[in-house]
Amino acid sequence: MTDDFVRLDTDVLVVGGGVAGSMAAIPALEAGLKVVICEKGKILDHCGSIGCGVDHYLTIMESGPEWDTPEFLLKHVPELTDGIVDMAVAGRVIREMPRIFRKIEAMGVDFRDRQTGDYYRLRSFGLPGTYHINFDGTDFKKHLGERVRKGKATVLMRTMVVQLLVKDNRAYGAIAFNFRSGEWTVIRAKSVVLAAGDVNRISQNASGLAFDSWHIPYNTGDAQAMGYHAGAALANMESVEATLTPKGFSCQGLNALVSLGAYFVNKAGERFMFKYDKKGENARRAVIADGVINEYLLGNGPIYLDCRHLPQDMLDRMEHTLQVDRYTLPAYYQQKGVNFREELVEVSVSELSIRRSGVYFRGSGLAVDTNGETAVEGLFAAGDCATVSGGISGAAVLGHIAGEGVVQRIRASTGALPEVERGTLDEVRARAVAHLQQKDGLPWKAYEETTRQTVSDYVGVRRNEQGLRLALDTLAALAKREPTLKADDLHGLMRVHEAKNIRLNAEIMATASLARQETRTGSSHFRMDYPKTDDLNWRKFVIVERGANGPVTRTLSTDQPLSAAFSRGNAAVAA
Amino acid sequence: MSTPQKEMFNPIRINPETCIKCNLCDWICPGDLIYKEEDNRETLPVIKYPDECWYCGLCQSICPTNAITVVFPEQMVHNKTDVASLLGKVIE
Repeated sequence: MTDDFVRLDTDVLVVGGGVAGSMAAIPALEAGLKVVICEKGKILDHCGSIGCGVDHYLTIMESGPEWDTPEFLLKHVPELTDGIVDMAVAGRVIREMPRIFRKIEAMGVDFRDRQTGDYYRLRSFGLPGTYHINFDGTDFKKHLGERVRKGKATVLMRTMVVQLLVKDNRAYGAIAFNFRSGEWTVIRAKSVVLAAGDVNRISQNASGLAFDSWHIPYNTGDAQAMGYHAGAALANMESVEATLTPKGFSCQGLNALVSLGAYFVNKAGERFMFKYDKKGENARRAVIADGVINEYLLGNGPIYLDCRHLPQDMLDRMEHTLQVDRYTLPAYYQQKGVNFREELVEVSVSELSIRRSGVYFRGSGLAVDTNGETAVEGLFAAGDCATVSGGISGAAVLGHIAGEGVVQRIRASTGALPEVERGTLDEVRARAVAHLQQKDGLPWKAYEETTRQTVSDYVGVRRNEQGLRLALDTLAALAKREPTLKADDLHGLMRVHEAKNIRLNAEIMATASLARQETRTGSSHFRMDYPKTDDLNWRKFVIVERGANGPVTRTLSTDQPLSAAFSRGNAAVAA
Repeated sequence: MSTPQKEMFNPIRINPETCIKCNLCDWICPGDLIYKEEDNRETLPVIKYPDECWYCGLCQSICPTNAITVVFPEQMVHNKTDVASLLGKVIE
């Protein structure tokens, strides 16, 4: 490790080079601001959260009919989110969709079907219109990455941000380290955008492999954890998300499968989904995941994916699309010796992630206002780490909104950036060095396994008060052992930081779950001791913040935007 | 508790005969699993953390000579887990 810190001063620091982070950088660069992007992986030219390409993009296009307008979709949002959604922010995101869609097209992304030259739009996941453009988005992110590079952003790859710098509730930078070179960097910035994605590696799955996960396993709630430590408010953290995957491989593809007409059947060959929702397989993701969970709990498993009834051209489309989203899926089926076109494929419920609870527009993470700014001034959040989440397009739109918000915030700011206290830097690095010097310390893999088992058992798809309290005790005990975590090398040190963030997010999730004494959106928050949805008492957000001794909760009616709970007031700069 | 590397299942198979030691797989891997000495046309890439593989296939897709194949382990391809065991324990 290097002895001293590299010092960088910039206008905007973006944490995360995925879709949200790139889209936040772009308006800032266009406004002539200097941007530094810290990227933990090598993602700039490929989609962060799903690694390869994109296969669908949700957008209003204002093509003429009433359903293809922002106001129409917005009308349905309360129902889509079971009443828990920040309508102010969701409204802004939905209204901006057509403009951002056109902007991305202008960047060179071709959303049209190669064969017909038209947009191939599908209806899925309970949405009231055919908003999902199904396309080959292998190059989608390359165009965004290109725009960022052309704008001359400074991109630090293999660099993990570990702590934000905040003074008087104003964010002014962060401390990061490069886990290849060992170099530490302190970045001062007039604004920070957190876009480091969702929380994965938090629970068990069928394969038993921690890094076999639906979304990228290297998204470990870094933004949520750092934002929490910096004093930002989080919301919807009780809502967890699972998807359905072939059993043994937690991969993408469910959207493509259901929108192209696949069925789910149980061991009796029954197409059971209509028992759970009149839309059948076209219900919201949370609902179809729920349906499968219930069938397994009733002993009706194994549950299978059934594509045998589909016409050949649909199957061809399906086969192509599945590879776009996860390059290795065809190879997996081949190795497995299963032809999904002709045979049933056993499915499993995936491991859990904290992102958007299987519905669109309600995100779990850092609460933001209509500019994408959190409760900490100058600290913005976008994408899957924020409270409005909507897949790739949600990330793109909220990312762009946050980028524009950053420009406004910087223009309204005066004064010099604070000096970074040497003591803070030394402390952060000393902690890191201590992990590297642990001889017989606690391996981060074992520490994570305990977190995962605790979440699967007590904070997963079936919760009750006793289980949640036991989980909180276990997670608190784990936290006490953190100083003993062992890193064998710099890569291990990065994983140690990830492991701590995963544990903290699990603790926040358990805390929020304990607070919400009702069930909502099925197994996304299922309390066995409060099995009914209680709109009278619980049409509220559960907000989590850092208290004196750990996470504390309070509630806010969903009639208000989350920003009403911010102590910096809603003194947002005019959008 | 750490498993010695040589006993770990390695999903990223690199054909030493067709690998041209270009470094693209190291460059693209989102998980920091692949380590390849830069500017060295003699040494092969090393899969340093094979159990942290996401099975995304980005390495395979970017390899200019098709030298990489991602292989799935038995526990993924012929998985025997009872899904109900993933669905929580209930404390009364």
